Amino acid sequence: MNYEFDWSSIPGSLPFLWEGMKISLEITAIAVVVGIVWGTLLAMMRLSPVKPLSWFAAGYVNLFRAIPLVMVLLWFFLIVPQVLRGAFNLDPNTDVRLTSAMIGFALFESAYYSEIIRAGIQSVPKGQVAAASALGMSYAQAMRLVVLPQAFRNMVPLLLTQAIVLFQDTSLVYVSALADFFGAAYKVGDRDGRLVELLLFAGAVYFVLCFSLSQVVRRLQKRMATV
Amino acid sequence: MITIDKVSKHYGSFQVLTDCTTQVKKGEVVVVCGPSGSGKSTLIKCVNGLEPFQAGAITVDGISVGDPKTNLSKLRSRVGMVFQHFELFPHMSITDNLSIAQVKVLGRSKDEARDKGLKLLDRVGLKAHADKFPGQLSGGQQQRVAIARALAMDPICMLFDEPTSALDPEMINEVLDVMVELAQEGMTMMCVTHEMGFARKVANRVIFMDQGRIVEDDAKDAFFGAPRSERARQFLAKILQH
Repeated sequence: MNYEFDWSSIPGSLPFLWEGMKISLEITAIAVVVGIVWGTLLAMMRLSPVKPLSWFAAGYVNLFRAIPLVMVLLWFFLIVPQVLRGAFNLDPNTDVRLTSAMIGFALFESAYYSEIIRAGIQSVPKGQVAAASALGMSYAQAMRLVVLPQAFRNMVPLLLTQAIVLFQDTSLVYVSALADFFGAAYKVGDRDGRLVELLLFAGAVYFVLCFSLSQVVRRLQKRMATV
Repeated sequence: MITIDKVSKHYGSFQVLTDCTTQVKKGEVVVVCGPSGSGKSTLIKCVNGLEPFQAGAITVDGISVGDPKTNLSKLRSRVGMVFQHFELFPHMSITDNLSIAQVKVLGRSKDEARDKGLKLLDRVGLKAHADKFPGQLSGGQQQRVAIARALAMDPICMLFDEPTSALDPEMINEVLDVMVELAQEGMTMMCVTHEMGFARKVANRVIFMDQGRIVEDDAKDAFFGAPRSERARQFLAKILQH
């Protein structure tokens, strides 16, 4: 049995693959931004002395961390489009797959980000809050001006690492038939009967991107450790 | 200025403070000492509400600290506090450390806050370090900045929580000098410290605590001359041995 590799269908389909890559990057960017903002709020709720807030945040985080991402995406693919169409009176033919994928990702990743951010907040010595309070700052001011800036500084490498994981996870949107980078590669391979080549190529691209990014993170970590 | 009336505090079943009663008058310097675990740091943290207490009452300038209706942030902005571990904000320059609360809490303009900060920095002898970050300064220098940061709020009184116990011996005096100067200018001060030289020099009264109780509360000379309780005598004997 001798498999003949034929890479010829790749060069011509690069523009199509690039379109897919743009979707993957778009989903990653939105999920990272929303994940960090919503994750910060969740982390603050979880650490808050107000019990209902802390229970809500704990429930949210535990729920999303106990469900496979693929299932969350599938639910959002099946449910969110109906809700969005109902809420905004959209044309039934409007394509809301990208939006629902983004919402699903953002809500899912927030749970992971909130745990990273919670650890970051807890890494700031308690005396810092005491000092901020003693100067007359409110809890919110102490958080915003004193604790969070230090927490985020400590967390940068972890947040970036999570973004890399997230970027890889975006390939799972294939369940909603979205042509992200992985989906696009699959389609091209399927069309030309060259699935093996296309998937190897896609894998190589993911590897090169993610590996070089994590090298950057490692450098950053080393530089921060020496400051 | 500060009145503490029958204050008690417990963590679960562990009693930290029992029936503590004392007061600090305007312009008075009161030193609080006692063995570790005696509750002196807890007591001073109760004064500006950083630690809650279950029984008794504390008032600062007539305002009740334990009253849930009291705006604690506002009260704290008028009470300066200096901590054992300095607690400067490491992500801000010295200038920003000095001005942030002036701007965000008191609503002063940035220029006004900066000028005030620099003036106080000059006073503690650190004007040259204005643009550095806390991590670039020695412990003694950081503590002097922390004192300047508290003074920048124009406090009506100052609380010191073991301000020199985290310092190397050669840095203790530079911090004490600033505190002595402050006391001589008439600042109302409550200081938790083991520096008996400082107490001898500027304190009006000395409070000795043991196991969460105020065991002695006496004029300085009476305290150092002839402590009434056996515990205080033993404590002084140990601490003044060398």
